[in-house]
Amino acid sequence: MSNPLAYVFSCIFVLLAHGAMLFSVFYNGSYDDVNAVIVLMAAVIGLDAVYFIILPFFKQQTYAVDFMLILILNMGLIFQSCFGGVEFRFKHFITMIAALIACRIGYFACRDHRWIEDKRKFIWIGIGILMGVILLFTGSRSMWISLGESTSVQPSEFIKPLLVLACATSVTEQQKKHKLLCFNVVYENLILFGIVAGVCLFQWWCRDLGSIPTFGAIYVSGFLLRICYPKGKYSKKPIIIAVAALAVLAVIGIIVAPPYVRDRLFVDVWNDKNGHGYQQAQALIGIADGGWFGKRPGHGFLHNVFAYNSDIVFATISEEWGLLFSVMSVFVLLMIMAIPLVNPPRSYYHGSMCAGIAAAFSVQMALNIFGSCNMIPFTGVTLPFISMGGTSMVVSGLMAGMLVAAQSPAFKAPKKKKQEQKKPQPVPSQQMQPVPPQQPQLLPPRQDVPQQPPVSYTLTDRRK
Amino acid sequence: MDTAKLIMCAVSAAALDICALVLMITAYREKSSGRKRWRKISADMELADRDRGYPLECDEILIGRHENADIRIHDMSVSRYHAILNVADGKWTITDIGSKSGVYVNGVHVEQKRLRENDVITVGERRLIFRKRRDRH
Repeated sequence: MSNPLAYVFSCIFVLLAHGAMLFSVFYNGSYDDVNAVIVLMAAVIGLDAVYFIILPFFKQQTYAVDFMLILILNMGLIFQSCFGGVEFRFKHFITMIAALIACRIGYFACRDHRWIEDKRKFIWIGIGILMGVILLFTGSRSMWISLGESTSVQPSEFIKPLLVLACATSVTEQQKKHKLLCFNVVYENLILFGIVAGVCLFQWWCRDLGSIPTFGAIYVSGFLLRICYPKGKYSKKPIIIAVAALAVLAVIGIIVAPPYVRDRLFVDVWNDKNGHGYQQAQALIGIADGGWFGKRPGHGFLHNVFAYNSDIVFATISEEWGLLFSVMSVFVLLMIMAIPLVNPPRSYYHGSMCAGIAAAFSVQMALNIFGSCNMIPFTGVTLPFISMGGTSMVVSGLMAGMLVAAQSPAFKAPKKKKQEQKKPQPVPSQQMQPVPPQQPQLLPPRQDVPQQPPVSYTLTDRRK
Repeated sequence: MDTAKLIMCAVSAAALDICALVLMITAYREKSSGRKRWRKISADMELADRDRGYPLECDEILIGRHENADIRIHDMSVSRYHAILNVADGKWTITDIGSKSGVYVNGVHVEQKRLRENDVITVGERRLIFRKRRDRH
């Protein structure tokens, strides 16, 4: 821990923020039994305390993302437990703990970028397996696999972090070009395009169209970073071609979209407020009703609307807690994504990985919030860390762990090389042959250069 | 909503705002401690030209003539993307990435070589010294 005082202060302020919210629930909330509030308080403060005690044992270099993560997760728990009356949502609490565990897994898996880069083929295989699972188990018009009466899993969600890792690249990888016909290509870029095209087709097939923009955003950010460095300033053509191709694909997508999607695209929610526009119309009314400070926790109406705690959760928070709280939730999410800008990663792989995660979170947030506010068609995408949904929560936690890894990286030598250095191959003395001394290839004689222009240094430019 | 309840809402929102602000400041302050940690990871080395040094601030540093190279050398004998510097376990390695004139460390042609303090790296016709960082900003 670099600064224990800063750590303690951060803990205190997170506890204060949660405490103030819980006190607001106690004072303003709608509940019949005060025990519900006490259980909620114990769960939130208890989780905070346990997390703050455990966290230093991981010996990270920074803890900023972790503090923001626990802040937003417990905010989500308080919001979820107050919708339609205060009641501790145990299922959401369990998914939060699963997200925190996933965060640790993401951290350990990605902190050494050379190790995770070496596992690239396994990442591709993982995506392939998940696509196979979608093909075999979800069916053509569903995105869920049922594991019981109240438990189901959405396998396509797990493709997101894998795709982020597949898109992340190092500078060395970009140098590995091969001649294909008359083009110099990086094979990995072609493989990646095939993977993304396959994933999007599968999503289309199982009618999970809301996830396609997220996958597209991850790929576009990865693609741009792949072609932009080190040749960024001189490679505008591929960017223009890519943007044009995306625009054409979007137009084709709208033309061939299923009828219910086209209905959503062009629906007037006020003319059809009891039909296709019901959720959005109610969400807009809820946001307006809530105002700045909300109708108080548990006193809203939106909990009667379908998907109030997932797809239109932004509107439900706005109604019960006020626009100030819902905007602050979004702000905390943006802070999590912006951490790599404050403390830039020290490797290009981690940088491009952070960009992919930020792209995924941004698009998910935009789809959820703007969809609730009727600024774009309703997609049913979850708000990271806040919406109810186990799979989404775990995957978001995993991606947050990847951000933590980029903040506390490890630069270790590959294990194979270490072993070779430690244990040189013994040579039997009988087999040893006298080896003629090798003449090293020496530096060619220098030519005198009267004036050498200075060396310029642009390292900080890249890190910005 | 009565005034007391409104004040309660405002107070809880203000507490959240202040917490977010404190976390932002903490994250910003960690930037300077992050620099110190990087010095430890990178063994606090720099590449020095005749008159100035260039601190090695991240993994995978490109040396070349191209405008986007991290250490740009204005010399036609240097390839656009000449060599790359990597760090692992506090040790730096230089790798030739297909340059025309090659990379020489202490006068010996190398494809990849672990660098030691005060090694002289020659790229094209330019000589750079790999040494401990001297001018700390």
